[in-house]
Amino acid sequence: MLPLKWEKKLQEYMKSRERWFSELMQAGSTWQGRRKFLKMAAMAAGFAASKSFTPHSFQLVDVVSSDDRKPFTFAYISDSHLYEKTLNERFVRQLQRAVADINALDPQPDFVLYGGDLAQLGQPGELKLGAQILKEIKAPVKMMVGEHDWFLDMGEVWRELFGPPYYSFDHKGVHFITLMSVNEKDFWTAKGYSPMERMRIVAGLDDARQSPFEVGEEEREWLKQDLQKVDRKTPIVVFSHSPLYKLYRNWNFWTEDAEEVQALLRPFEKVTVIHGHTHQVLTHRIGNIHFHGMLSTAWPWPYAPTGLPKLTVQMNRQNPFNQTDGLGDGTVEVHATGRVDKHYNLWNRNPMRVSARYLDSEGAEDRPPATTLPSY
Amino acid sequence: MQKIVKVLFILLVAAVLVVDVAPQRAASSSMNFQVPRGLPQDLWESLIPADNPLTPEKIALGEKLFFDKRLSADRTVSCATCHDPALGFADSNAVAVGVELKKGARNSPSIINAVFNELQFWDGRAPSLEEQAKLPLINPIEMGMKDHDAVVERVKEIPEYRVEFEKVFGSEGITIDTIVKAIAAFERVQLSGDAPFDRFIAGDASAISESAKRGWELFNGKARCISCHAFNSTNPFFSDFKFHNIGVAAKDRNFSQLARKAQQLIAANKDRQRIQDELALSPGFSELGRYLVTGEPRDIGAFKTSMLRDVELTAPYMHDGSEKTLLDVIKFYDRGGEVNPNLDGGMRPLKLTDQEMFDLVEFLKTLTSDASKKRFYSLKPQTREPAK
Amino acid sequence: MEKKLKVLVVLLLLLAFYVVNAQQHPSVKDEDKVMTVKLCDGETYVQLEGRLPNERLSRSEAEAVTNELMAKWLAKQPPAVAAAWTKEYQEGKKKAQQKAQAKAGDESVKQEKQTYEFTKRDIQMWERELKKLIDYGDQIFHDDQLIGSTNGVSCAMCHPNAANTHPETYPKYQIQLQRVALLRDMINWCIENPSRGKKLEPDDPKMRALEAYIMSQRKGVPMEYGKH
Repeated sequence: MLPLKWEKKLQEYMKSRERWFSELMQAGSTWQGRRKFLKMAAMAAGFAASKSFTPHSFQLVDVVSSDDRKPFTFAYISDSHLYEKTLNERFVRQLQRAVADINALDPQPDFVLYGGDLAQLGQPGELKLGAQILKEIKAPVKMMVGEHDWFLDMGEVWRELFGPPYYSFDHKGVHFITLMSVNEKDFWTAKGYSPMERMRIVAGLDDARQSPFEVGEEEREWLKQDLQKVDRKTPIVVFSHSPLYKLYRNWNFWTEDAEEVQALLRPFEKVTVIHGHTHQVLTHRIGNIHFHGMLSTAWPWPYAPTGLPKLTVQMNRQNPFNQTDGLGDGTVEVHATGRVDKHYNLWNRNPMRVSARYLDSEGAEDRPPATTLPSY
Repeated sequence: MQKIVKVLFILLVAAVLVVDVAPQRAASSSMNFQVPRGLPQDLWESLIPADNPLTPEKIALGEKLFFDKRLSADRTVSCATCHDPALGFADSNAVAVGVELKKGARNSPSIINAVFNELQFWDGRAPSLEEQAKLPLINPIEMGMKDHDAVVERVKEIPEYRVEFEKVFGSEGITIDTIVKAIAAFERVQLSGDAPFDRFIAGDASAISESAKRGWELFNGKARCISCHAFNSTNPFFSDFKFHNIGVAAKDRNFSQLARKAQQLIAANKDRQRIQDELALSPGFSELGRYLVTGEPRDIGAFKTSMLRDVELTAPYMHDGSEKTLLDVIKFYDRGGEVNPNLDGGMRPLKLTDQEMFDLVEFLKTLTSDASKKRFYSLKPQTREPAK
Repeated sequence: MEKKLKVLVVLLLLLAFYVVNAQQHPSVKDEDKVMTVKLCDGETYVQLEGRLPNERLSRSEAEAVTNELMAKWLAKQPPAVAAAWTKEYQEGKKKAQQKAQAKAGDESVKQEKQTYEFTKRDIQMWERELKKLIDYGDQIFHDDQLIGSTNGVSCAMCHPNAANTHPETYPKYQIQLQRVALLRDMINWCIENPSRGKKLEPDDPKMRALEAYIMSQRKGVPMEYGKH
C-alpha cells in the first residue's frame, strides 16, 4: 500500500501521538493530573505562551448534570476530497492520518461524524476508497454527504454505500439531525452539461455557473415533522455540510434557505450546528443556535473576504510549505447542559478549543487566542 | 390630460424608431459571411453600418460599379484601374494615374481590409468607405466627373443599372448615396487573412521559414516596427491607424510656407472637402499629409500607418510610392527616415545587418494570403481601353 | 494670547465699519410704491415708480438702474475724472470679453476630433486584449491539467478567486525558499509542489496569463512589497 519507509514513519508518529493524547486526557481528569499537564506544557516552549491551555480547557466531566443527561464526546473527520490513489496519494494518507488520530483517542468517542466531501469528483472509485478507509474507525460512524460526493450521479453510489442522506437519532438525551444541505437548483439541464461537467462545476468553489446550496422544501418539511416529536428543552445538534447561515455566496459558504431552517430550530433552547465545507476554524452564533465549522483533511480554504462572523477567531494563515498545515480533525464535547465545546485538532499547530462559555457570553469570556499571522 | 397624450405620443414615436432599427440590424447579420482565419469576425460585423446592410445582390451591384469605367469622364478609368485585384487591389505606379493619364501625388492604397480602417485615405479625410468612394469620382485628375449629379446622370443612362438599383435599394433608386453604398458593400467583403503567418500564430511552427521567424522577432524588437504596425488578436492588421511623420515627405520641402498657403486656400474655398481632396493630390501640398485635414501643426507631413497584409503584392511603397521594394522600405527605416522638424520621435537609425533586413522582408512575405496570391498570379491587370 | 487679541480687534473693526457703512449708504429708501436706489456717494439716486421698495429687480432692470446711476454720477464729476473713469471701465470690459472668448476657444479645441489621441476603438481593443489574457489565466488557474498537475490539484483548489495569493506582497524574502522571490517564483513553486507539475519558463504564455489573472483579482489593493 504505502512505501515501506512511510509506513514505518506513520507507525512511529501514531505511537507518539497516542502517548500525547492519553496524557492530555489524564491531565484533564484530576487536579494532580492537571498540574502534571501544566508542567509538561510549561516545558514545551511553544505552549508556554499560549493562553488556550488554561486548566478549564480539559474539564471533561466537571459539569454536574442537572437532569438525566450525561456528558459525552464525539469526534469528527471531514472534507477529505479523495481522488483515486493512483492520482493523488497525499489526500489518502491524510485521511488515514485522521482515522489514526481518532482511533488513538482514549477514551474513545461515542461515535464519529464524517462531515461530507469524502470524494473529490463523486466517482465510485473515490467513494469506495473512502468507505474502505473509514471502516478502520473503531467507533461507530455517522455519515454526512457533501456536494463533491453527490453531483456526478446525484448521490446514487453514495446512498448505496452509506444509506439515506438525511436522518435523525437520539443519543444520551440529545437529539441529533443530519441534513443534506447541498442540494442545488437545476443549472445543468438547460445548458446541456454532462454529469461530469456538472460535477466539475459544483466542485469549483468559485465557479459562478452553479446554484446556491439549499436544504430544499421537501427536506424542510421532513425536518418540521421530525422536530414535532422533540421536547423544546431537549438539546439539538444538527450536522450540515454547508454552513446553515449566509456567509459568502461566491464560494457557497452559504445555505439559500438558511433562515427557514433556523426558524424551525428557534423554538428549542439549545441548538448547535456542526458544518463542513469551509475547511477552517469558523464560529458563529445566531440567537439560540451555535455554529461550528470543521477542519478538512485535504486542504485549507482561505477565509472569505467578506461576511466573516464576529465571533470567529481565525486560525493562523497556513504555511504552504507544510502540506498538512491548517488541516486536521477534532472532537466535540457535549456537556450535560446540552451545550458543546468544539475542539479543533490542528495538525502541526496548537489545538484550539472554542467553548460554549465563549459563545454564551458573546465572546466576552474564554476567548481562544488570536492568530499571529494575518489572513490576506 | 394633454401631458398624458404627449407622453403617449413620445412613447409611440420611440416604439416606431425601435421597430424601424431592429430589422436593419437583422438584415446585416442575416448574411452569413465568414471572415478569413486570423481576422476578428465580431469586429468586422460591428463595422457594417446599420443603414447599409450587406446583401449578396448589393455586393454584386457594387462589384459591377467598381469595375465600370463609364463612371469616369472619358470612360477609361474605373475604381479598379487603381485598385486592381490583379495587383493586390492597388496598382504598380508610384502615384495614381487618372483620366487623360493625369498623375496625382499619392500611391494607390489597397482596398483589401480597408473596412477595418478607422479613417480612409492616407490622411484620413474620409470617415467611411461610403464617403471615401464619393471623392475620386469628381476629382479632376482621378475619374474627372464634373460633380455628383453628373455621376448619377451617367449611371441612370444605363438601363441595367436602373433595374438593379431598384432591386437593391427599392424606391430610393439611383442617387450618389446608393451608388457609394453599393461600392462600399463590395469593398467590405474584400478581406485578406489566413496567411502563412496566421497559421504560424495559431500554433503551426512549420508554416513560415526560420528566416521569417527571425524577422517576426525583429519586427517586435530591434526593428521597432510593432510600435506603429500594431498586431494583436483584436487588431491583427499591423496598423495603429494613427498618423505619423516618418520623414518620407521631408524631401526639401518648406513645410511652414506650404502650410500657410494651404490654410489660405482652404479658408477661401466654400467646399472644404473638395479643396482638401484636390490639395491632397497636388504635388507639394500633398506632402502636408494629415495637416490638410486638421490644420494642426503637429500633423504636418504625417500619414496613416499602412496595414501590412498582402503588402508583398502592392509595390511601390509609401504614400508617394517613393520606395520600390520591401527591402528599400526596410533600408529607409534603417536610416531612421529623412530628418525634418516634425519627424516622429520614434524614428531612429536601427543599425540592422543585411541578414536582419532580409529576415524582415521574409517575414512580411508571410502576410500574403493564399487567395490574394492566387489572384495576383492568375488575373489579368486592368486596361485603359475606353468603355462603350 | 496675543493672537487672540489681534483677531478680536480685527473683528471689532470690521463690525464698526459695517455699522458705519450701513448708516451712511442706505441703498433703498422706504416709501410706498416708489423704489429709490441710491449710489454709495449718498447723493445720487434713481427712483422707480410703481415698484415696492423691497421688490426684487430682474437682472436687466438692475443693469439699467446701475447704468443710469453711473451716468448721473459721471455728469457731476470734473471732466478729467470722468474721462479717466470711463477709460478704465472700458478696458476692464474688453479684458473680460477676451477672457470669455479664450475659454470658449479652449473648449472647442477639446471637442475637436484629434488624430493622435486614443479613440473608443483603441480603448475597446486594449480592454479586449487584456480580458483575453486574464480569462486565459482564469482558465489555467482552475484546471489541473492545464498547469500540468499530475495529482489533480489545481490552483483554485486552495486559492478560490486567487484568494491568499497576495501578489501585492512580492518581491519579498520568502522564508521557506531562503531567497527573495517574485510572484512567478511562488507560482512555479505551487506548480512543482502541491500540484506535482513541471515549472514554467518566466515568459511562458501560461505564466504570463496566470500572473495577469492573479493580479486582476487584487485590483485596488495597495502595493506592499516585502510584506509577510
